[in-house]
Amino acid sequence: MKNSQLYKGSLNTIIMKLLEEQGRMYGYEITQKVKEITKGELNITEGALYPALHKLEADGLLDVEVEKVDNRLRKYYKLTEKGTTENVNRLAELEEFIKNIQTIVNPKLSY
Amino acid sequence: MMKLTSEQIDRLYQFTRQHYVEWYDLQTELVDHLANSIEAQWQENPKISFEDALQIEFKKFGVFGFMNVVEKRQLALQKRYSKLVWKHFKEFFTIPKIVITLFSTVLLFLIFRNYSQVEILITTLFMLVLITFWISLFYQSRKNKIEYKTTGKKWLFKDIIFGHSSFAGLSYIPFYVLIHTDFSQNIGILKAAFFSLLFVSMALCEYIILVIIPSKAEEYLKETYPEYALENAN
Repeated sequence: MKNSQLYKGSLNTIIMKLLEEQGRMYGYEITQKVKEITKGELNITEGALYPALHKLEADGLLDVEVEKVDNRLRKYYKLTEKGTTENVNRLAELEEFIKNIQTIVNPKLSY
Repeated sequence: MMKLTSEQIDRLYQFTRQHYVEWYDLQTELVDHLANSIEAQWQENPKISFEDALQIEFKKFGVFGFMNVVEKRQLALQKRYSKLVWKHFKEFFTIPKIVITLFSTVLLFLIFRNYSQVEILITTLFMLVLITFWISLFYQSRKNKIEYKTTGKKWLFKDIIFGHSSFAGLSYIPFYVLIHTDFSQNIGILKAAFFSLLFVSMALCEYIILVIIPSKAEEYLKETYPEYALENAN
């Protein structure tokens, strides 16, 4: 998907959903996972991913862990309790949104 | 699978510094990201050189490079800091600390009501808060800079704790209020109450920013950076 404007608003929800499934992940892993799931259709840009992660962390939705892997430090993100609850709400919101967009884009389907 | 050597990791740290990432915490995250990408590129094409692979990955961050990441990180941690100040501030309005807050506010109120040269008194008090604030700020950030020289590592949240620049700007507010206040007659109940509360709030903020939070800095830094404890143990 070339138009990144379309998924920008959903980036936080995508990150949180992935973390819920995977437990904990590091930045690079998230970009790769999204690419893998969407077969390369959706490409999270590095310049957008880290700001989103840092904001979610500042909002208390994510927690961090740091581990030494090979000869470097790796920062893992995982959902906090607050993040888990918030994730449920945001997913519901996103699903509702997708449904609405579908009715607008393809009105006949709704009848 | 080909892995990066320690020298190459050092080179990545140097690369982030060259691209205006001053802080070690952010450097570390970006270094791991770049390293993962380079290793992944090697898996697909073992012939690609380290520097070429690095450039390919760096391009993905866009024309502004790491700038956006740095800026947003500053905002996020600034927010975390403000929340921390607010948390401590609220403590002074709950039992048991509210006793101190109320007592000093009422005491000030009574002084303001009964002292004839109240304008000079209020201005002096606010000046005192401001001057002590700026002096301590100067010493704390100098101490922080010296520490940085010995460790060679800058931590963004530490810089915020000991630099608290965002709050420094707010310290001028009372003077705008003072300039626009009319002290020609005796000070009224409302004005006296307002200035005593304003002064107590400012003094509390100063105390929180200069004493309470720095005294717990280690604890807050470890909370923000799990690697902080790891690094300082070495």
